[in-house]
Amino acid sequence: MLEIKGVSVKRGALVALKDISLSIELGKTVAVVGESGAGKSTLIAAILGLIALSGGKITWAGGPVRGIRPALVMQEPRAAFNPDLSLRQSVSEPLKAQKLPVDTKRLAKLCAGLELAPDLLDRKPGQVSIGQAQRVGILRALITTPPLILFDEPLSALDAVTQKRTAQLIADLQRQKGFAALIVTHDLGYACAFSDEIAVLRAGSVEETSTPTAFVNAPETDYGRKLRDAAVSLGALERAS
Amino acid sequence: MIQTMLSLVLRAVVVLVGSALVTFVLLWNAPGDPAMAIAMARFNAVVPAEVVDQVRAEAGLDAGFWPAFKAWIGPLLVGDFGRSSVTGREVWPDLVTAVGYTYPLAFLALFWGLAIALPLAILAASRPGSVLDRVCVAMASTGAAMPAFWLGLLLILLFAVKLAWLPAMGARTASHIVLPALTLALGVAASLTRIIRSGILEARDQNFLPALQRRGVANSAIERDHVAPHAAIPVVTVFGLELAFLLEGLVMVEVIFGRPGLGGFLVNAIDARDFPKVQAVVLLTAIVFVAINFAVDIFYKLLDPRMEDRDA
Amino acid sequence: MRSIGILCAVFVSLALLGPVFAPYDPTAINIPNRLSPPSAQWPLGTDALGRDILSRLLHGASWSLGLAFVVSLIGCVIGTFVGLVAALGGKTTDWALMRATDTFLSFPELVAAVVIAGILGAGTGTLIFALCATSWMRYARVARGIGLSLKSRGYVIQAKLVGLSPIAIARWHYLPALLPSLTVVWTGMLARAILGISALGFLGFGVQPPMPEWGTMLLDARIHMRSTPLQMVWPGLAVAISVLAINLCGDVLRDRISADER
Repeated sequence: MLEIKGVSVKRGALVALKDISLSIELGKTVAVVGESGAGKSTLIAAILGLIALSGGKITWAGGPVRGIRPALVMQEPRAAFNPDLSLRQSVSEPLKAQKLPVDTKRLAKLCAGLELAPDLLDRKPGQVSIGQAQRVGILRALITTPPLILFDEPLSALDAVTQKRTAQLIADLQRQKGFAALIVTHDLGYACAFSDEIAVLRAGSVEETSTPTAFVNAPETDYGRKLRDAAVSLGALERAS
Repeated sequence: MIQTMLSLVLRAVVVLVGSALVTFVLLWNAPGDPAMAIAMARFNAVVPAEVVDQVRAEAGLDAGFWPAFKAWIGPLLVGDFGRSSVTGREVWPDLVTAVGYTYPLAFLALFWGLAIALPLAILAASRPGSVLDRVCVAMASTGAAMPAFWLGLLLILLFAVKLAWLPAMGARTASHIVLPALTLALGVAASLTRIIRSGILEARDQNFLPALQRRGVANSAIERDHVAPHAAIPVVTVFGLELAFLLEGLVMVEVIFGRPGLGGFLVNAIDARDFPKVQAVVLLTAIVFVAINFAVDIFYKLLDPRMEDRDA
Repeated sequence: MRSIGILCAVFVSLALLGPVFAPYDPTAINIPNRLSPPSAQWPLGTDALGRDILSRLLHGASWSLGLAFVVSLIGCVIGTFVGLVAALGGKTTDWALMRATDTFLSFPELVAAVVIAGILGAGTGTLIFALCATSWMRYARVARGIGLSLKSRGYVIQAKLVGLSPIAIARWHYLPALLPSLTVVWTGMLARAILGISALGFLGFGVQPPMPEWGTMLLDARIHMRSTPLQMVWPGLAVAISVLAINLCGDVLRDRISADER
């Protein structure tokens, strides 16, 4: 469904992305891993059409990606909400933009699925914990049931316990709703445990793609091996195996 | 660096052309037939239609906006400000005479203003929050709220009418400059005092100063090397604004004191609808303004190349 | 915000109610009693045409303060619009609009207002136009600066992604964030507008006689400086006190906002 074909992005003289090709089917999760500065955030911005491509093509079922209104879950959960508005106002913004009514029953059900107390939405972003804010961020992404959701380091601002719970929630929700997910993360353990395919990004190009099991057992490239070994020595891959 | 300079120059040029365009749009939209106005002003009587038409053709007024703009700006580009539409005399010499009265006044006001503001600000900043500080700040706030023309009238009332110490109207003798300069200087001092005071306070707040003190660097040396230069930055930054303030004050003050400077020149020209004179003053102020702001920008960039544009 | 609320309330009520408290008709001519000193009958005396100065001062409030209010609000709306378009539009739009702002800033406000009012002909309409044309630039710069910094905030990107219209984005995400700073600029510009209106009135390019605007009153009073000097004090005092009050409120507001941001 999501087709990324030979995409390049230049920022001034710098080449941020170089000939990237990836695809994601409905119901599948692709994790893009790499160090900071590898171009992960640029890739997200490119898919969302926030920056211009200098080459290649990104499509959803042959059409423009913006047409299906993909949702984005951000790295800094609190900054993703207007500090002056209640979370309820922010969450209903996607509906308002499409002139759709708020379905209270569905909202309550989504809240329950995300372990959010119903009255939590009446608070402002500064009045909830970061973990709660991130789950509200996922709630906002789900509210219009988009076929594609992008996650930009969805766990990195959370503490260890909340990380695990949130990762599980995302995986469960995806099983229920069947959207395509692209998760950008530097956390190899998370990527291996919760994705169908792993793409290793290095200095703007895809070093290798494989299934998590294949990657954990035998990375194809030296860089992939380095990444895996670093993760193993930190004990981060226990969850995956 | 060269690139920044070039972009600053480009900006200055664009702004100058823009201000010329704005001026012309204004003149173009002046009510009534400008040709008739010029002709009536020049011949001071009811004028026959063919004379008006001749004037219209001379001034390039019948060819539409852009040709008229071109005809208008051409001579200006080579420094020809044209002739007065009332007297027929060349504008430039009269303008130079007027500026000759204005710039000593401006410099004296600026100098006196600084001479008043600097000690007041240092005094106020020596003990922030004290009674002395509050009195200084209150005086500055009051001064900033006083319209320059009213202050001028009050000074005339006191020093010229009641006490008869100083002359008020005209510019015949050297003492004629005292009251207008004082009026402007008080206004300049009011705003400068606050800026210098907060500049000094901010400069004393720099986090490395206690370390210097502990190492035994003399307080006087700290003040000279670290506080004074830092406090000067905001003063330079607002210099452009200060000059605007001064120019506005100059117009009013020169009118009140009947000085034949730029302000009187401008107001008389507007009253007589003498557009060549008006546009000369307007363009001259715009040039001075752009030049000052250009200098401030460059000074700013030199001071700290990392600093963002002032308008950001 | 409360001090601003009180300030607005006082000014609006003074501008609206001032005329109600006026003991006399401000334009009623009474030649036999011209230039009377302050007395029980005329608390502040009468002017050269025998008109009650107190009544003129109170009626003048609705001209001087009311017009300043209108002018500063129009300037705020224009400037905010220009600033936001510059911040949200492309690089070229931004550059062009900012150079236009520089261009208008390259004339000292009052000088430009005098020229505009003088060329287009004196009158209240021209006065408003002249002061608006010379006062929107500061708002534009502030709105652009904050707008640029908001552009990369997470919630603004989210709003863009979900397809919220630019007007709705401006309404929900930009204006609330701009409001505190714009209010500070606005108090400063309100004070400047009062000064500008009185200066133009004093030069004869502003509100026309017999309307009792404070600057125009000063112009009348000036001729009789020697015989009735007090007559010249009142209108100037009214201008100075108004400007001082507004400036003080602006200072309080600015301190409050910078404390909030810390």
